[in-house]
Amino acid sequence: MSFVPAAGDKGEAKPAATAAGPEIRILLIEDDGEIAEEIIDDLTDRGYEVIHVADGVQGLERARGGDLSLLIVDRLLPGLDGLAILETLRREKVPTPALVLSALGDVDDRVSGLKAGGDDYLAKPFAFVELAARIEALLRRPVLGRETVLRVGPLELDLVDRTVFRAGRAIELLPREFKLLEYLMRRPGQVMTRAMLLGDVWNYRFVTVTNLVDVHIGKLRRKIDGPDEPQMIHTIRGAGFMLSAPQ
Amino acid sequence: MRGGRHAGVRLALTAAVTFSLFTSLLFGFIYWRTAVVELRRVDNGVERDARALAESTPEGLLRSIRIRMAADFHRITFAAVLDADGRPLEGNLERLPPGLTVDGQAHRTEMAVPGAGTEDVVMVGRRLTDGRLLVLGRSIDSLANLHAALIRALELAILPAVLLSLVAGAVMSRPLQSQIRAIQLATRRIIQGDLSGRLALSGSGDQFDRLASSVNFMLDEIARLLHQAQSTADNIAHDLRTPLTRVRTHLERGRAPGKTHADLQEAVDRAIVGLDQALRVITALLRIGHVERGHRRANFVAVDLGTVVTEIADLFEPFAEEKGLRLRVDIAAPASIHGDRDLLCEAVANLVDNAVKFTPSGGTVTLGLHRRDGVPVIVVADTGPGIPVEERAAVMGRFYRSDMSRQVEGCGLGLSLVDAIVTLHGFRLAIGDGHPGCVVEMACAAAPVRALDPAASH
Repeated sequence: MSFVPAAGDKGEAKPAATAAGPEIRILLIEDDGEIAEEIIDDLTDRGYEVIHVADGVQGLERARGGDLSLLIVDRLLPGLDGLAILETLRREKVPTPALVLSALGDVDDRVSGLKAGGDDYLAKPFAFVELAARIEALLRRPVLGRETVLRVGPLELDLVDRTVFRAGRAIELLPREFKLLEYLMRRPGQVMTRAMLLGDVWNYRFVTVTNLVDVHIGKLRRKIDGPDEPQMIHTIRGAGFMLSAPQ
Repeated sequence: MRGGRHAGVRLALTAAVTFSLFTSLLFGFIYWRTAVVELRRVDNGVERDARALAESTPEGLLRSIRIRMAADFHRITFAAVLDADGRPLEGNLERLPPGLTVDGQAHRTEMAVPGAGTEDVVMVGRRLTDGRLLVLGRSIDSLANLHAALIRALELAILPAVLLSLVAGAVMSRPLQSQIRAIQLATRRIIQGDLSGRLALSGSGDQFDRLASSVNFMLDEIARLLHQAQSTADNIAHDLRTPLTRVRTHLERGRAPGKTHADLQEAVDRAIVGLDQALRVITALLRIGHVERGHRRANFVAVDLGTVVTEIADLFEPFAEEKGLRLRVDIAAPASIHGDRDLLCEAVANLVDNAVKFTPSGGTVTLGLHRRDGVPVIVVADTGPGIPVEERAAVMGRFYRSDMSRQVEGCGLGLSLVDAIVTLHGFRLAIGDGHPGCVVEMACAAAPVRALDPAASH
């Protein structure tokens, strides 16, 4: 889904990624020219600066150079394997977050990708919204501070008392709803795809056809967004969900 | 063919050699009995006689010798009493036979016989208390004749025995050869492409029958796999062609003259949905293949099945609720097994997903963890229409969809994946009847790898 949300796109909340500043520079190490071109186009449209290298050895050299916000590394590369690049970089204490791409797309590959020093893993073929959401998540690390109360707009979640209030209104949540809300509140304004929610909140790495995540979000939304209140949990068409403070 | 003939010849030769060996052994035994045992008997007899005679009175001794001489019609007995200087006093020997040691023991010696050359004799020399010498002997020529007769008989018997066993071997190997030929003909037909051919069984239950039924079982398996591969290929083609045809239609209509930008966008959106569906099929197939090749045992850890059941129930509960179903969790016996947590979750999730989809509103889906015969069993039961007995095996095949499931979304690969995961773990999956509804049971005990034994599968 590579089309750029057109202006006035049916009033849907705009993915925050489009607001990325030009200072965010991404190194793409990918040997498939056609896919690379599409990725560059899409990410450029989203406001990122993309440097593309098609070869593993050159990719490693460029990644060492610094001034990069993110690496996107294909697993199978001519010259030097994607995982070898990451292992080398991590050994050299290069901390740049990295997203591993792979055509293999099995859980094993995900595990080995993360073990080698990748921060996230995406199997080809992927939707561009999925790529964008994961890039965004890597660039904006979640709020994992020591505070025991999370706040987004009028929404308040107390991690110790396990209570949730929206503008003073107490909201009763099931444990799984609490966990889901906590995850969204740590990433306000970020698009979370179904696969990300399933993987991060429930720790399931499989793809279901069933709209399980939609049902969970629907239940949570009915409790969070009262009938007269402005919406906070948004559905981003073709992408996923986002929690944000009412405008 | 050549193999068969060789086997026949080999069998005949083996029989002949065995037969000859056996005959020789038999003769050897008889020979040993006569040559050694009889000879020893003669030795002992002569020694005993000499001892007895030595103890009789001098007059009694001479009388005994005379009686022996008189009674010996066949002239096989030698007996003599000599004085201390070796002169004969009584008996049929003129002197002490040369070379005979006078020690009371039996010795073999040759005696010249007038007109008959020499003969073998067992002889004992014994000095009496008064200084005289007693010599006793017995001809063993008759024994030697018997030996010669035995060896001649052996020589005469071995040739017909060998011939007889060669013939017997050839006769016995004929049915063997014809059975081998039958197997060769049948396998040749099968090699030429007729996979429906099977080896004939004689019904005797012999080794050939057992071999043939193993081969037939193997052929059944090959035919089944081949059929499965063919229908899988057909199904893949079909399941990919359907969405791709839709994609093509959407794109073609989107670029038709007079369409607006919004129309085009919608067409592209719908095309992407179709492509995603096609990609899902491909991804699922690759995953099943990956799991089936069993590369994932490296990820096996201790997995708490109770947690798996609770978490999957937690994930599916709102989904079931939305469909108007009750999702019941029944953990009767917590258990921990060795396995791949992600894959087991996926398998259970697939089963629950199916149960929720096929159960009409108002029904109940039960996700249980029990223990039967010491084995943890995950049970997914529903109150839906159930699966007819004749379809139960087929639902685990790739792309199987019952008529009723055509309306339900899915790629038809869910149960194949479950089956692959269950097989990887060595677990067992059984589909049963819930009266009403369907009961799927996953027995979580690592079973030995299924043996290629016809008895075990039929």
